[in-house]
Amino acid sequence: MNKKHILHLYWRAGFGVLPKESMELEKQSKQFIVNDLFKKSLNAKPLSVDTSKLDTYTIESFKEDKMARQAFLNLNGEKFNEYNYAWIDRLNYSNQILRERMTLFWANHFVCRDRNIYHLTLYNNALRENALGNFRDFVKVISKEASMIKYLDTRKNSKRSPNENFSRELLELFTLGVGNYSEQDIKEGARAFTGYKYDEKDGSFIFNEKAHDGKNKTFLNKQGAFYGDDIIDIILEQEQCAKFICEKIYKYFVNDKLVDSHVSEMVAVFYPDYNIETLMRYVFTSNWFYNDENIGTKIKSPIELLVGMNKVVPMEFKEKKDYLKIQKLLGQFLLDPPNVAGWKGGKGWIDTNSLMFRLKLPQLLLANTVLDIKEKGEFTESYKTLYKKTKTKSTIDVTPDWNYFKENFETISFNQMKENLIQCALNDGTEIFLESINKYNKKDIVIQMMSLPEYQLC
Amino acid sequence: MKRRQFIKNSSLASTLFFVPSFVKAFEKIAIEGLGYKKLVIIQLSGGNDGLNTVIPYKNDLYYKLRPTISIKENKVIKLNDTIGLHPSLTPLKKLYDQGLLAIVNNVGYPNPNRSHFRSTDIWQTASDSSEYIQSGWVGRYLDAFGKNYYNAIEIDDSLSLMMKGENISGIATKSASRLYSASQDPFFKKILSYQNDEHLSEHNLGYLYKTMIAAESSAKHIFFNAKKVVKSNDYPNNGFANQLKTMAQFINSGMDTKVFYSSLGGFDTHSNQNNKQKVLLEMYAESMEAFVRDLKQQNTFKDTLILTFTEFGRRVQQNSSNGTDHGAANNVFIIGDNLKKQGLYNDLASLSDLDANGDIKYEIDFRTIYATILKKWLQVDDKIILNKSFEQLDFI
Repeated sequence: MNKKHILHLYWRAGFGVLPKESMELEKQSKQFIVNDLFKKSLNAKPLSVDTSKLDTYTIESFKEDKMARQAFLNLNGEKFNEYNYAWIDRLNYSNQILRERMTLFWANHFVCRDRNIYHLTLYNNALRENALGNFRDFVKVISKEASMIKYLDTRKNSKRSPNENFSRELLELFTLGVGNYSEQDIKEGARAFTGYKYDEKDGSFIFNEKAHDGKNKTFLNKQGAFYGDDIIDIILEQEQCAKFICEKIYKYFVNDKLVDSHVSEMVAVFYPDYNIETLMRYVFTSNWFYNDENIGTKIKSPIELLVGMNKVVPMEFKEKKDYLKIQKLLGQFLLDPPNVAGWKGGKGWIDTNSLMFRLKLPQLLLANTVLDIKEKGEFTESYKTLYKKTKTKSTIDVTPDWNYFKENFETISFNQMKENLIQCALNDGTEIFLESINKYNKKDIVIQMMSLPEYQLC
Repeated sequence: MKRRQFIKNSSLASTLFFVPSFVKAFEKIAIEGLGYKKLVIIQLSGGNDGLNTVIPYKNDLYYKLRPTISIKENKVIKLNDTIGLHPSLTPLKKLYDQGLLAIVNNVGYPNPNRSHFRSTDIWQTASDSSEYIQSGWVGRYLDAFGKNYYNAIEIDDSLSLMMKGENISGIATKSASRLYSASQDPFFKKILSYQNDEHLSEHNLGYLYKTMIAAESSAKHIFFNAKKVVKSNDYPNNGFANQLKTMAQFINSGMDTKVFYSSLGGFDTHSNQNNKQKVLLEMYAESMEAFVRDLKQQNTFKDTLILTFTEFGRRVQQNSSNGTDHGAANNVFIIGDNLKKQGLYNDLASLSDLDANGDIKYEIDFRTIYATILKKWLQVDDKIILNKSFEQLDFI
């Protein structure tokens, strides 16, 4: 497989690849390389943070001590941030790159937001576990996760007072897409998902038969005393569901402009078994995946940008909170999606401010320049902080691992470096510009290449 | 373009501070203005408690449901026999007396969402409660009628959804000079100076370059216009006032910006509400008073309309921590010189007829306010931006 295609595959199925690895892979066939990605991602490794300090609290202890509740919430907040760092660390250093890449994709498909560290850990690992599995099982699992039951109000959905939130998003955002069902289907679907709750102790799913509406429902032209899982099965009978998912996968992994014939091929592979692994194998081994118009044309998400940079020059943040600040300024704070539709992606990442910040980022992180902007305030911000005179200028204390960089890039020529870092075709102007930069200081070169608009694409 | 010729051009660049011709072309488009009218949008972020802001001080139910946090009748700034303002709002009372303030009560939308994030999204995208739109209503105004990115400015360091369109977005900045110096970064300039217009036709890469050019030219436009005006010092000393001061500087400079947006956070008063809200409303009202004064002195107030909203109101019944939880409908303030209907636009909602959560029911859809402002103030077709037709109100 040629280098350009290896880099393309690794940028879409992962977050880039080091020159040494790509050189090794050049000797191998496409089949072998794709196979290898799947092999390495075989068994999901759960991601968790140490919650032992939280585990000692009980509901009773809150009743006895009012302060305990606040202390618990503060600690939980810290754990939430910790999980964010741990997830990014996982993206940075895991060898299961494909599984982690898919997990990131599904996190923006089955979008959910939860502050509870126990539940969000379960949720995040459910995404990881099912990332390459069967989509049918996946939807059923997600519908029963504590985080989702809270986020889309299924716990408020009962026989007596139905709540349509989950049923609506299941159809609109998770399976069929707008326009492929009726308002009546939403209502009838909601009735089937009544009685869903979770165990307060361990977050596991509980079905409360008493709150469940056991009467007949008419859903997508079928009739029966359906349960939630039946509804999911009926939805998945529609080929539209496979099409909806394939389009989303195509936009994320291939190109944000759809090519109908490619999507049809994918649907033929995906439907009716809904095997995600088979589908992804098909995409990564197809010839069209490697078409020129698909290479280096996708705008990197902030996380892709950060993880990709870290792959080249690993970075240690002295203050972990700075990592959150950067995510906020870039517009993608992991675990904190804007709403159930998730991040828009593509051009949606880019406005004049975020782009200027992106282009400055390599200097900020790798050359310790000053940061002179601040992230947005919080809804709950204490009013005292509004009066406080805060310095606008701050530095972010990052230690780049230049030795690691040197090991990997010392013997790499300028042109090879360019090939490795920039996926899209350079035009004359940028080419001439690159000719003008000092080719002897590799640190400078990597910082300048990462500061190019072209580096924003993969 | 031939390569040799290009090298010649770019060597010129280093000596003459060369700006590529396509950047110039881009700037020219902006000169035709969009008219003089300006819209200022302020969000009281966190959900301001509207019931303790515009107070039904003769309503027994109000005092009954809020035994410890209600505002006593003798403290209320009276607007009429039954309704008054929070004691921190003396500056707003002055505006009210001058006929420069309209208060629209019970503003909301069907099936209210009580999450800060979601409800802020709904207000910022002008969507239905069950609909997810990934562009903001001001952004869509830019898409349809804007000519340049700086036609809408958010006084902050990063851009809110409200300001993002499908093809063009507003600019966020707290300081014209900081934005300008960021855009004048030597490396940034250098990359741009090496480009010809070849990139601009490419799909995503073209978009990046266009955005970079827009950043550069917008920062310049904002900086050189703002420079013409000396900032007034007659403002209270807090972050929000500073933002309004910057906004007034921009407005007074006559730069071609139609919409300004800024927010004041901290209104999420689940506990010990009275102390917090007192400080926040004081900050809001005093800063607003200074802002209006500043604009009046520069004769720009007559062309400015100020809309203040918050993502939701709060529960009518107080909670056990002397605070209030997330609610639904709320009041919206409109400040301007050209109000057709001044003072209280409509009556306060009944406190005995609440929704299932115990929240105030909405009477006026917030999008009718947007539609009215778009059509009557900014004089554009509101339906293009809101994707639907909404009733026109008559406050302007």
